[in-house]
Amino acid sequence: MEAPPVTMMPVTGGTINMMEYLLQGSVLDQSLESLLHRLRGLCDNMEPETFLDHEMVFLLKGQQASPFVLRARRSMDKTGMPWHLRYLGQPEIGDKNRHALVRNCVDIATSDNLTDFLVEMGFRMDHEFVAKGHVFRKGIMKIVVYKIFRILMPGNTESIEPLSLSYLVELNVVAPAGQDVVSDDMRNFAEQLKPLVHLEKIDPKRLM
Amino acid sequence: MQREEKQLELTLEALISQVADLKNSLVSFIYKLENEYDRLTWPSVLDSFALLSGQLNTLNKVLKHEKTPLLRNQVIIPLVLSPDRDEEIMRQTEGRVPVFSHEVVPDHLRTKPDPEVEEQEKQLITDAARISPDAAQKQIQSLNKMCSNLLEKISKEERESESGGLRQNKQTFNPADTNALVAAVAFGKGLSNRRPPGSGASVQSGQPGAGAIIAGASGIQQVPMTGAPAQQQPMLAGVQMTPAGQPGKMPSGIKTNIKSASMHPYQR
Repeated sequence: MEAPPVTMMPVTGGTINMMEYLLQGSVLDQSLESLLHRLRGLCDNMEPETFLDHEMVFLLKGQQASPFVLRARRSMDKTGMPWHLRYLGQPEIGDKNRHALVRNCVDIATSDNLTDFLVEMGFRMDHEFVAKGHVFRKGIMKIVVYKIFRILMPGNTESIEPLSLSYLVELNVVAPAGQDVVSDDMRNFAEQLKPLVHLEKIDPKRLM
Repeated sequence: MQREEKQLELTLEALISQVADLKNSLVSFIYKLENEYDRLTWPSVLDSFALLSGQLNTLNKVLKHEKTPLLRNQVIIPLVLSPDRDEEIMRQTEGRVPVFSHEVVPDHLRTKPDPEVEEQEKQLITDAARISPDAAQKQIQSLNKMCSNLLEKISKEERESESGGLRQNKQTFNPADTNALVAAVAFGKGLSNRRPPGSGASVQSGQPGAGAIIAGASGIQQVPMTGAPAQQQPMLAGVQMTPAGQPGKMPSGIKTNIKSASMHPYQR
């Protein structure tokens, strides 16, 4: 049963269970400019926003087989921004009609002693990378085009090298659970970016 | 009577505006040809022609419009002919016709076509009258069929060349890259400093899952490396540099390694 729209739900306190709807694709370096032009035309009119982020992924290994994953991200070019801690659940096995990957998502802004805190709690850093790119918005949809850089020496974000010759393109929406109309809107938007980019739902488990 | 007059007036206004547009585009085309002939490109000339053709089309549509009264039934008679300069006419025609006199009027108010054109038209009419209606119908049908065949061939050719060209030149994304990038973001495939990238793939497939465990200090806990001993350094520091664009192939032995290496601080 589809949940009623957010504006009608009574505020009873606590947190709303937010889900992230995700579509991913990639674009080769040489076609980046045309993609950015198209996005600038399609998306909301705002100053083009670039970002340079450093993301670290922490694992907590318990007795269970699958470790608990938390992602900590900090901005490398914007000063004064809080760190961003994110939990992403397992993708929901919905029906095939759902066009986007849906998973539970919790986002928290933290102060900058986050890594010390996580290490004290027993988390260990699994991997890290630097992401550099552009972000666009259209309504509640966020479109991020970024290049992933591998960090050659742990902790040293200056020595980085690109992971591949492509930029990753992600279209995501964070919305309460049950709003399946969101994935239809996302699919319509993805249609407009063809044939430059094919945004589709990619199950990460398939790529293991 | 009054309605017809009104219609006539409206039609005349529409015609005048259409003709003015046509004149303007002709003027710009002539200017282009005279002044920019050395830089002129064929597509630009085609554009001008297309513009003129479009305007002629709209002119025709205005004339054929159902609200247009039969202009054929109207007659234009010059009322006053004078050899003096007429400022009004000068202004209206932008200086091209200074005098409304006996020599100007027959040219401008003529309704009969040129004698040669009239001859050709008469010829065509007699030819057409000679053919029986059946033969005429058959000729019309064959003409239509040939035109549609030609159109179909052109559109098919256009479509094929377009898609072929797209496929060849404009590969804007690489699906292998997409998978590699998604894997990198989802679980760090090819990213981490503790996993030797690409060139070590053949070495890794040989080794069993549980290699030596490097228990790092309180900081980063390292999962056992399944590479050669030389690679068991926490810092790669340029020793193993994947050439850009080749994401490493990681073995999926990582799960078993975690089990054997779990040193959870809270374990009893």
